Amino acid sequence: MNANAEEVELRERLDLMQRMIAEGRRTTQRWSWTFLLWGCAYYIAIAWSAYGKEWYSWPVTMIAAGIATGVLAARIKHSEPSTAIGRALSAVWGVMGTTLFVVLMALGLSGRADLHLIVVIAGAMLAVANGISSLILRWKMQFACGLVWLATAVGACFASDTQLAITSLAAIFFCQIVFGIYGMILESRRQGQGSVHA
Amino acid sequence: MPELPELNPVIHGKLRLALLSLLAGVEEAEFTWLRAKTGSTDGNLGAQLMKLEESGYVAVEKKFVERKPQTIYRMTDVGREALQEYVQALKQLLGAAI
Repeated sequence: MNANAEEVELRERLDLMQRMIAEGRRTTQRWSWTFLLWGCAYYIAIAWSAYGKEWYSWPVTMIAAGIATGVLAARIKHSEPSTAIGRALSAVWGVMGTTLFVVLMALGLSGRADLHLIVVIAGAMLAVANGISSLILRWKMQFACGLVWLATAVGACFASDTQLAITSLAAIFFCQIVFGIYGMILESRRQGQGSVHA
Repeated sequence: MPELPELNPVIHGKLRLALLSLLAGVEEAEFTWLRAKTGSTDGNLGAQLMKLEESGYVAVEKKFVERKPQTIYRMTDVGREALQEYVQALKQLLGAAI
């Protein structure tokens, strides 16, 4: 083998290593479907509570979405490798989701649930979770989602009922539905990967 | 003239290098995930992982999850050190080739 061919061979080895290390880290970004699922769950709960006027519309929808997330996540976790970043992200979203659920349930049971207060709490917590995730993953699109939730939470303090409804529906649409679909498209594009032989 | 380093033959195989690099980016990984990422066959992958295990570069743990067998691989400290040395040697050789 001449010197040039040997150099090409060595560079191929370095490229292969970089590609594989990046591939291992990338697995933590395959959770965009949860944004879409929860976005749809919010819309179902809003529509159900608006037209059905049932007190249990929110708890039932949220519990159903939580169970669906748990079942699907357990199946993915079996086939995905364990990473420190993955554990950090699941800790942030797990704690945020549980806290939000408990606080909103308590508000509902106490009879002090006010739509403005709910949007302020949910928006602020989603802003924190999206902000932390975006900084860990260095994902600008998710950082923008965090800012939208923060703006929605702040806006809810001053908005009228109509303004609140419009901004909340818009925030769910952009930060859950659009962001979820965008993330899933990115992930499906990354699926194509070349084979490595001995 | 300084002597050029030799590349570790256990790591130098393309599939073994890919496996160690994949494991370097995660804490632990299942056999099926490594197979999906490398596009290798079960037999070839098993043989290469066995070589890495015999060299002490990876540790293996077999367990059952929901009654299904699972083989988990993780990189050892020895493996991490060997990979770092391999990268250094590779860079040195490339430096000499330029």
